[in-house]
Amino acid sequence: MSIPQSHIRNFSIIAHIDHGKSTLADRILEVTGAVSSREAREQFLDKMDIERERGITIKAQNVRLKYVAKDGQVYQLNLIDTPGHVDFNYEVSRSLSACEGAILVVDSTQGVEAQTLANVYLALDQGLEILPVLNKVDLPSSDVEKTKEQIEQVIGLDCADAVSCSGKTGVGVADILEQIVLKVPPPRGNPEGNLRALIFDTWYDAYRGAMVMVRVLDGCIKRGDKIRFMVTKTEYEVTEIGSFQPFAVALEEIGAGEVGFIAANIRSVHDTKVGDTITHALPSRQSTDALPGFKDVKPMVFAGIFPTDSSDYPALRDALEKLHLNDAAFNFEPDSSEALGFGFRCGFLGLLHMEIIQERLEREFNLDLITTAPSVVYQVYKTDGTQVRVDNPAKLPLAQYVERIEEPYVKMAIHVPTDYVGAVLSLCQDKRGSQIDLKYASQDRVIIIYELPFGEVLFDFHDKLKSVSRGYASMDYEVIGYKPGQLVKVDIMVNGEPLDALSIIVHKDRAYHRGRGLSEKLKEFVPQQQYEVAIQAAIGGKIIARETVRALRKDVTAKCYGGDISRKRKLLEKQKEGKKRMKQVGSVEIPQEAFLAILKVDS
Amino acid sequence: MQRASVYVHFPWCLTKCPYCDFVSYATERPAVPHAAYADAVIRELRARAESFQTKEIASIFFGGGTPSLWEPAELGRVLAAIRDALGCAPQVEVTVECNPTSLDRARADALASVGVNRLSIGTQSLKQEQLSFLGRLHNPQGALDAVTDALASNIARVSTDLIFGLPEQSADDARAQALALADLGLRHLSCYQLTIEPGTRFGELARRGRLPLADDGRVADAFLAIDEALAARGLVHYEISNYAAPGEEARHNLGYWRGEEYLGLGCGAYGFVRNELGGVRWRNEIDPARYLERAGWGSMSEEPLDAETLLRERIMLGLRLATGFDLEAAAADLGVVAWTDERSREADKMLKSQRLIREGAILRIPNKAWLFTDDTAARLF
Repeated sequence: MSIPQSHIRNFSIIAHIDHGKSTLADRILEVTGAVSSREAREQFLDKMDIERERGITIKAQNVRLKYVAKDGQVYQLNLIDTPGHVDFNYEVSRSLSACEGAILVVDSTQGVEAQTLANVYLALDQGLEILPVLNKVDLPSSDVEKTKEQIEQVIGLDCADAVSCSGKTGVGVADILEQIVLKVPPPRGNPEGNLRALIFDTWYDAYRGAMVMVRVLDGCIKRGDKIRFMVTKTEYEVTEIGSFQPFAVALEEIGAGEVGFIAANIRSVHDTKVGDTITHALPSRQSTDALPGFKDVKPMVFAGIFPTDSSDYPALRDALEKLHLNDAAFNFEPDSSEALGFGFRCGFLGLLHMEIIQERLEREFNLDLITTAPSVVYQVYKTDGTQVRVDNPAKLPLAQYVERIEEPYVKMAIHVPTDYVGAVLSLCQDKRGSQIDLKYASQDRVIIIYELPFGEVLFDFHDKLKSVSRGYASMDYEVIGYKPGQLVKVDIMVNGEPLDALSIIVHKDRAYHRGRGLSEKLKEFVPQQQYEVAIQAAIGGKIIARETVRALRKDVTAKCYGGDISRKRKLLEKQKEGKKRMKQVGSVEIPQEAFLAILKVDS
Repeated sequence: MQRASVYVHFPWCLTKCPYCDFVSYATERPAVPHAAYADAVIRELRARAESFQTKEIASIFFGGGTPSLWEPAELGRVLAAIRDALGCAPQVEVTVECNPTSLDRARADALASVGVNRLSIGTQSLKQEQLSFLGRLHNPQGALDAVTDALASNIARVSTDLIFGLPEQSADDARAQALALADLGLRHLSCYQLTIEPGTRFGELARRGRLPLADDGRVADAFLAIDEALAARGLVHYEISNYAAPGEEARHNLGYWRGEEYLGLGCGAYGFVRNELGGVRWRNEIDPARYLERAGWGSMSEEPLDAETLLRERIMLGLRLATGFDLEAAAADLGVVAWTDERSREADKMLKSQRLIREGAILRIPNKAWLFTDDTAARLF
């Protein structure tokens, strides 16, 4: 390519959620002329419908831009978008590994938030040049000086040159581009060396097979090259090379320092491991020195996913396999539940990740699903000295075989205005947390650090935090390890038959409250049967709550003559359809809606 | 010859009852176009008669609304036209629905003189507060008088309706009323549990949570209490809501429950005729003015019914009868499979739990499981 490495800049934009990262990216695309205003639509880089609807970025996207700087020279800017949510931290670090610099966007009406800090640490880990910018200066509540002060105090970044900008109006965007050229270092690979390229994203294209997004460090990749994946030890011939500008554009080669995608008729995504290094297949041009790669991300949250209609099981399996090609961060294995039939136990990075997978399955694959209550992974130490990992409450060994249970803990950082500190502290205490630190980020903002059981965080922590702080608190957490806890399994039983899908593992002090809540909720949804139905919550053999669904006394139409016949027949046809969607638990029929409603409860 | 029946709907009442979801419009008696309506029904009869000419008409039923409001002479003109146009059985049952407010001895005799031989009287309750709740114009004495007059008249057969399952009504109260009616000498009684239908005033109130509702358990108890009391008087519980001395069953309604065809005439009437694909259920225009204009020019809507659908209807209706029905004969008649795998499976389960009884090809529901007939039928759909 005609652009020398010295004129290439690879950068990301990092920010707390809602601080305007995607809008700023849109503006950059517009200013560099990559997107004409005819093509422009909001959040250009967020390709998935879910991303645009939820206003978040899930999969990192990237785009190559041509920029004529004030020095009159042409630069190639590779903008690598990153997700902002804590669940997708691993995507952030992958994206950052392809960069030399990062624009840190801070909302000047909000200041530094929990994920601002988390993302900065990720960028510092990668040794990136960080350029703070103060966004949303068009808003009346913007306070640039205070925000700068906060960045300097809390993060320790020099804000003397920080650009004030607005993704909305475009103010300051040109200055940001200039700073990228001036401050972000060019890539430092060896263009003449043997090929080494880092895979930092993969996805599946129905026509081209598995696609890989790479950052070339040394050497270059040309169309027709035979390449080798160093970890999976497989070889392919490159059929297509390209980059997003932001539409896919075919290229002849990707040189050192550049970013682009490769298609090579790769049928199996298992051959394309994110973090793998690509080199030439030819021994003479082959590198033996693989790049460090990435830590494998481990799912932290588990839930069962079951088709509402059991005949959809094969379709669900296909859908999960396809999604897995796009999102290697979740995993799944066959599972079966007495109440819900055949399905899959799936592991996710967090709750948002789980919701997104569920939504994509339903939306992109048109499936009706029941997702069971999410669970963390417990370490169970048995009396016989063995240890098991339990990611499904139904699989917890009987109490008499359990010596102790350990549960995962997170270190939680919460940024909150001083007014709400009391409420947040009492929430954390209530969630069995222990306080580690409390410090002032500025006069009116506090950073609270707590250690909390991850299970409690999963349950409803985020909602509660938002509610006690009127939406002003932000949080970020990382898993720090396991600690023993007084945990028990609560089973829900219907006429004595356990409903395995509804079992939960919970701290013993909360068992009664949760058990009663679940029973009450279930009662609302279990239709009357011809006999009384007892709904019970139990720990081991001990009943801790009971609700009764009274027996149905009659189900009969009084009048059925000439004109009524069609209408009554249709009612019974509907009644029949309803029965088809019932799950038989012992002698009791429970509608799918009951499971859906209960598994959705968050209190 | 195939049996069939004729239903004539009369769409006017003196008031609209809050539970009623039939086509009926409140009107003053002088405002009813007695002759014009008879003309329109006769016009429609002529247009539709053809497909019923090969059938034997076992029953002619005037329902409503309140057909006892109709000038007996005009009703008689319609009846004569039906007899004239179609082949009627020698013992054809001719029923007219009546309200106590528009029935006395003279009216009953007048109806008898034009060929009516059965009356169905809308008593509904023998208690004033219940009649008021139900929006009825008559009082308990009026109801008793109407029934007594009818029994003393030249009309051969008399039935009356009772509604039970009113809010706060005890099983004892329902039983006492059923017995009081039976003791007047009635040989046919219909006892309906009050049903709240959408589109009625009660339905609207219930939707807004402003209608007192009866407890299901009490309604079931009342159902069982009536069953027991009337059985002791020799009235057989031959259909979920109907009781009769042997031989006194309503032939018209038995036709519906056996899946027979019916010629529906008049504003808002339904008709059903079979064809090579299964059958068609049609509905007539529900606006009286438009009906008067267009009678004889087709239906307001038609619902094609395939053979499988008709079999489901036979199941639903046949299981309402104490004698049950012959599933295999019904299936053969319709040309479909009686025992699909799913239906066999469901039937087996219910046979085991005694929700259903099978005697040869006959399926029926035992008395004690009658309260769950809808569920049973739906499972066999």
